[in-house]
Amino acid sequence: MTTRQEWIRYLGLGGLVLVCLGLLGLAAWQLVQLERQMRIGASENMIWVFGQAQIEALNLALTLSDEAAAQQIQTRFDVLLSRLTLLEEGPQRRFLEDAGVSETLADWRSGLLALDPAQGADMAALRAHVTALVAALRGKASLVMSHEWQIQAERLDRLGHLHRLALVSVLGAALAGLGLAAILIDRERRLMRGRLDRLRAEKLAGDLERERETSENHRRFADLIAHQLRTPLAVIDSAMHRLTRRGGPVSPELVSEKAAVSREAVARLVKLTDTALMMSRLERDGVRPHLGAHDLHDLAAAVIDDLMVAQGRNPSRIRPPAQAAPMVALCDPALTGEILSNLLRNALLYSPLDCRVDVEVSQSQTHIVCRIEDRGRGMSPEEIARAFDRFHRGSGHETLPGSGLGLTLARHLARMQGGDVNLTQRAGGGLTAALYLPREVSA
Amino acid sequence: MNLRHRIARTALIAALLLSSVPAAAENVLLTLTGAVTDGRVELTRADFDAMDWHEFATSTSVTDHQPEFRGVLMRDILAHAGAEGSQVRAAALNDYVVDIPIEDFYQFDVLAALYMDGVPLTPRDKGPVWIVYPRDDHGVLADIRYDMRWVWQLVALHVQ
Repeated sequence: MTTRQEWIRYLGLGGLVLVCLGLLGLAAWQLVQLERQMRIGASENMIWVFGQAQIEALNLALTLSDEAAAQQIQTRFDVLLSRLTLLEEGPQRRFLEDAGVSETLADWRSGLLALDPAQGADMAALRAHVTALVAALRGKASLVMSHEWQIQAERLDRLGHLHRLALVSVLGAALAGLGLAAILIDRERRLMRGRLDRLRAEKLAGDLERERETSENHRRFADLIAHQLRTPLAVIDSAMHRLTRRGGPVSPELVSEKAAVSREAVARLVKLTDTALMMSRLERDGVRPHLGAHDLHDLAAAVIDDLMVAQGRNPSRIRPPAQAAPMVALCDPALTGEILSNLLRNALLYSPLDCRVDVEVSQSQTHIVCRIEDRGRGMSPEEIARAFDRFHRGSGHETLPGSGLGLTLARHLARMQGGDVNLTQRAGGGLTAALYLPREVSA
Repeated sequence: MNLRHRIARTALIAALLLSSVPAAAENVLLTLTGAVTDGRVELTRADFDAMDWHEFATSTSVTDHQPEFRGVLMRDILAHAGAEGSQVRAAALNDYVVDIPIEDFYQFDVLAALYMDGVPLTPRDKGPVWIVYPRDDHGVLADIRYDMRWVWQLVALHVQ
């Protein structure tokens, strides 16, 4: 989408929000007006006010014809006068002017005042005046009534108009709100679709990368295995060649020597194949640890024995762990044996033949630790950091037999059991490889 | 207004007028009946003068300007008469009758006004007594339900 289109979209959204809020504000203002105009004032009660004047005029006329007591006549006279006075006052006078009946009322009031009984006025003249007043008021009552209803009807019209305007405003606001909602929902849907597409693309890229990595690993592994296979095969081939060379008879010592060399080469081939198989199974997640309580002393001792037997090495090179309190870890004995065997073989391989390798077992709060210390030339921190990478070979050791998988495998197997393997520089030269395994809690 | 009210009103006014004829010299302005001391209390101008006078200006529904009213507080009148009740039925010379909750007089400074703009109120205008609410001080009072309680030409209060 271009910037211009995006601007138009934003302007449209903003405009809709403004329209929505504006219409709601308008509706609120109209409702306030409505509320104000709905109040009833006493001054609107003119039918009653005028009716009362009429009644008082009739009352006085009645009192006069009954020849009642002077006091009573005076009271009715005063009350009628007060009614006419009221009609003369501000709001009432304006109403009557609008209704077209006001101009004569003032004359009627002054006429009445001139006939005040308290001033000893002529009762007959008063009676005639009041009778005429009654007739005049009757004639104007309908005018007052129609004017009042006219006003009320107009007021209701105004209220109705305001009400309709408020209703239209609210409906308009609702429409604008619907438009807004539609735009927002559409936007959200687009965003969601975009996000899904991106996720899918990322997953595809990840899959591709993993596939590439796997394929590269396979290629390097195949290269490596081929290379590692060549050396022992060459050794065997050379031994066979020597034994079958045409010439003098072969001495039994030579046969025995060449058989030993060939067997060691075969053992290396078998080991290499085992490691390759194990890696392959791990990659398929085909290995499940069978955890149990095992004393690491015993496991380490068994591994040392196997190594010595299998490789016919000088047993005194390895100093086995001193037997102390049992060090029971929760681990799989076969996997742990594989780890220890790997670490020990590394220690023997990468240190001079006349140097000792120490194995010791200790425990911390949570773990049993087996440390294997050699007195080789050790590794720099950078080398240690890369040592666990797949197919990484220590610098300067490229010619030594090995797959570059041993440490990777060892760490992987340790972690499968809730432990770990790490390397540190040994004080006084050499390297310390440590295997951590969780302690058996119930022990 | 039903018939019973009309009869009660007429009786009230008649009793008042009849009683006020002989007592004219004493100039009774306001008669309280019902739940008051001895069932009947008559207030003369002298009784009014003995009470605390108050004054305020307020707009009304029947005048344009804001007249200055002077008189005594309705609650002082009720206290003076020893009134005990929840409402009064106010009756006027012009036969106007309306019920007013006594609560009004304690909630607002409702005046029994005898003067408007310094001029004494007479029966020819809105006297002798006009019940005036402080309409401008409380928004709630600008309402027809309170406007109906502004009794002018007030002559009798029946406490119930």
